[in-house]
Amino acid sequence: MIQLRGVSKTVMSGERPLTILHPLDLTIRSGQFLAVLGPSGSGKSTLLGLVAGLDAPTGGEIIIDDVDITRLGEDALAKLRGEKIGFVFQFFHLVPSLTAFENILIPMEIAGRRDASARAKRLLEEVGLADRGHHYPSQLSGGEQQRVAIARALSNDPPIILADEPTGNLDSTTGKLIMDLLLNVRRTRQTTMMLVTHDPDLASLADSRLVLRDGRPVEHVESRIPNPESRVQVTR
Amino acid sequence: MMFILRMAAREIRSSWQRLLFFFICIAVGVAAIIALRSVIQSVRAGMSQQAQVLIASDILLTSNREFTSKVLDTIAAEQRGGRIGVVSRATEIPTMVRPADPSKAVARMVELRAVEREFPLYGTLTLASGTYSHDLLVNHGVVVRPELLAQLDLKVGDRILIGNVPFQIRGVIASEPGRSLGAFSLGPRVIIDYAALEETGLLAFGSRASRQLLLQVPGTAVEPLTTALRSTFANEFVGVRSYRRSEDQMGENLTRAENYLSLVGLVVLILGGIGVSSVTRVFVQQKLRSIAILKCVGATSREILAIYMTQVLLLGVAGSVLGVAIAAAVIAAVPAFIGNIPAVFQVEYGLTTAAVAQGFAVGLLVSILFSLVPLLDVRHVKPSLLLRHDIPPLARIDWVKWSVTGVVAASLVAVAAWQAGSLRVGLMLSGGFVATAVVLHLAGLALVRAVQPLRYSPSFALRQAVLHIARPGNQTRVILLAVGLGTFFILGVRTLQANLLQDFAVQVGEDAPDMFLIDIQPDQKDGLAAFLDEQNGSEPPPNIIPVLRARVTAVRGSEVNLESYEQVRGRGSLSREYTITYRPQLNSNEELLQGKWWDASPSTGEAEVSIEERLQERFRINIGDQMQFDVLGRTITARVTSIRKVNWRDYRSGGFMIVFRPGPFENAPHGYISSVNGPRDPAARARMQATLVSRYPNVSVIDLREVLDTIQGIVDGVTLGVTVVGGLVLFSGMLILIGAVSMTKFQRVYEAAILKTLGASSRLVATMLLLEYGVLGAIAGTVGALGAIVLSWAVARYALDLTWHATPAITLIGITATATCVAAIGVLASLDVLRHKPLATLRAE
Repeated sequence: MIQLRGVSKTVMSGERPLTILHPLDLTIRSGQFLAVLGPSGSGKSTLLGLVAGLDAPTGGEIIIDDVDITRLGEDALAKLRGEKIGFVFQFFHLVPSLTAFENILIPMEIAGRRDASARAKRLLEEVGLADRGHHYPSQLSGGEQQRVAIARALSNDPPIILADEPTGNLDSTTGKLIMDLLLNVRRTRQTTMMLVTHDPDLASLADSRLVLRDGRPVEHVESRIPNPESRVQVTR
Repeated sequence: MMFILRMAAREIRSSWQRLLFFFICIAVGVAAIIALRSVIQSVRAGMSQQAQVLIASDILLTSNREFTSKVLDTIAAEQRGGRIGVVSRATEIPTMVRPADPSKAVARMVELRAVEREFPLYGTLTLASGTYSHDLLVNHGVVVRPELLAQLDLKVGDRILIGNVPFQIRGVIASEPGRSLGAFSLGPRVIIDYAALEETGLLAFGSRASRQLLLQVPGTAVEPLTTALRSTFANEFVGVRSYRRSEDQMGENLTRAENYLSLVGLVVLILGGIGVSSVTRVFVQQKLRSIAILKCVGATSREILAIYMTQVLLLGVAGSVLGVAIAAAVIAAVPAFIGNIPAVFQVEYGLTTAAVAQGFAVGLLVSILFSLVPLLDVRHVKPSLLLRHDIPPLARIDWVKWSVTGVVAASLVAVAAWQAGSLRVGLMLSGGFVATAVVLHLAGLALVRAVQPLRYSPSFALRQAVLHIARPGNQTRVILLAVGLGTFFILGVRTLQANLLQDFAVQVGEDAPDMFLIDIQPDQKDGLAAFLDEQNGSEPPPNIIPVLRARVTAVRGSEVNLESYEQVRGRGSLSREYTITYRPQLNSNEELLQGKWWDASPSTGEAEVSIEERLQERFRINIGDQMQFDVLGRTITARVTSIRKVNWRDYRSGGFMIVFRPGPFENAPHGYISSVNGPRDPAARARMQATLVSRYPNVSVIDLREVLDTIQGIVDGVTLGVTVVGGLVLFSGMLILIGAVSMTKFQRVYEAAILKTLGASSRLVATMLLLEYGVLGAIAGTVGALGAIVLSWAVARYALDLTWHATPAITLIGITATATCVAAIGVLASLDVLRHKPLATLRAE
């Protein structure tokens, strides 16, 4: 379970403070799929980054599985991400000097898993890139790079997946394939998922939706459909 | 741990080409350290196995006069007592030789050595062909160095005249025990039989013969015997030297040479280190996103730091291994290079373990130390970088970084001190390096600023080139430092060489005497004066100066009181043998500082003496003090009545530390010297020397023009040595340049693609590159040349006491060559930038 209590973020814009995210309370149950919507600059990505511990909030607490992550140091946060969080970026963010296969290996190697290599192969198969493992990111298309990024996010079987506009940099067909992949992952692994998106259609697949504008929540609704799996089926 | 090793290996796979050149710099430095240390350590090993060869005996006694009966009796007694084994007599004397064939009108000064059958007691005298035995010398045989054969146009079997006695050349000396390697000598070695020396007449009164007794000591009693003999002979004017002492002394010199020379390697290494530091900073900048990704997927800062440190370590190991390989190749080539230098003892050249260990350790240390500080920046990379691009930089002071910088600086000073074998030299080197770097850096900054007005030039290419030089991350500072330093070394030593040689050439000018005659006997004085007058033509008759050799045996003065020769010896060089003269007048190159110069009449009562100001400064001898001299066995007491300053550079009238008022020596036997302005034509000059020597065989001629050639040879050798050092530094500079270009190539390729898209031709892009590196090279060359001018001026003015001459040709050639080199290398290393098609580049971005 992820709990946010009064989480806010203020940065200095030149000489003046600028609040990107106003104090926000939010609870995401285990296995829940939350979509975060809002126009550019509304604080969506900031919120996601705070939950992942990629950045520290100005105020408030973020509790993941009974641990207040705002009290953790950089290295403890890195360890937490390695174990519990898979992150998928809009711009893929693969390490350019490593092959697809090696990019998937990294989190498992950091965690010291012995089955890393075999597992990375399985993950490549799962995202449909079994024969592209030896390619470097620059040799892959955008959709392929995002699939590698998803495989990397899944490599340590994290209970939480955070995705920041994962289809935002892809054409609609490829974007749909990627979304199907993510939803399939969630369905089969029962992971908690937080998805930042501009796309209302995508958001409609979620259990609940949070809409932000100028760093404030303007709408927070629980989906009427109790079983999200049926909706996944519907989209198919 | 596995993760760190694997990631380091993967990182090297992707970036080794960009980092390659910096680690070649490390390799060059490591190679220099290992090769220099190995060569000297090999020489030492050879020396310690055959140390007696250094003086061809266990103990060597030397004296400038006949050994006294006390000396001879003591040695004979020790021999009877069994403490001394073989005793062999020898004499060394510089003299003139000439071909016996009267049609060859040449004469040469040589260093004659007369030896007995037992010589050498240790080691072997090797001949170019055949084996040496003393039988070759009996019945007027002689063995000579090959140079003499060439100079006199002779071959084995021909006869030469020594004194007026003919000797037959029976062998050519390849190497001789007891002759130190590379020592300055007045002429080639000639060896004759001891028994034949007497009849040459060279041992006449006042000749500069050095009498020697070579002793062989059974067992291990060399040191106690040396000490005992030294104290027994304290007042006999005998030098007592053991082979151990020579070995220790030479060993110390070798250690010092080894430590100083390896600093050359350290300088190259540190330049490489600065390159490593600078490239690591750029490297981290280029890796920011990858670092953020690693942190995002769970890697800690410590793990990431460890990955890059491991990478540096692996490349440092690779660089050092390459350095060992280069050193091995160099060492293998050494015997071929020095094969023609007569070796005193056999040396097996090879890499020594100690040298390899040191070079390797220093290479690794420098790699790690220089990359540590820039790598610490990975700690500040925030994973949130992946979400937002505008991360404000941290303003707070990074204490960890500053402390690490402090530790690194201290470690580098420690490494320098370790390599120099002295904390003081290590500190001086570090301080000197920092000072030079700061000065070169400031000069570079000033010059970069000075060319900035060119950014408004009408030429697009020149505008862009100037802008690029000032661009951040362009490695301008490092290139200026490395290339500037190399240029500085090379031009500095060239300018100094030109100044030195010019100064000597001026001294041996048209109207200055260029031949010195020594060992003229009293009965030859008038005849020789007439001969020289005749040679001199219209010039005033040559000066024939009386000389005697004397030692100070006591001083009774206001500030010092030395009662015996033993006490004088305690004052170091005061106990040396002085060449003294007497005359009524003060010479034109002298200035009276204190006291009163005597009138022309000879002294009647107490002898009077005038001393040079250095004797007053160093030994506190003042006007009115009484000095006691031993002049060839006679004791003379004289009062100091004046103190003179001698302009030593104006040697036409000669320069004497001690001058007597005429009187005490008028009737004593003594020699004369003279200086003469010889013919300029080499053939006439040789003829004159030959005639002179045939008439006066004991008179030696020191030909200044030949000495000048010798000096030129030595200066050339030193210049070559320093030029090689400068060349190494410059080479590292060029490597750093190539490395810097390939490091920033991605940026350039991208810019070139944009420029080409906007309509720039490849030619224009090439011109931009050429101008950028040309201007950079010209700045580096100017910085180096300015440094060279300051260095050569300071050395000429303060160390060598010469008038400094500007050498615009060297300066201009240096700057032009540096600019051309840098421009050529810069453009060649950037060929990719020109070749890339713009579309592919822009798409990849």
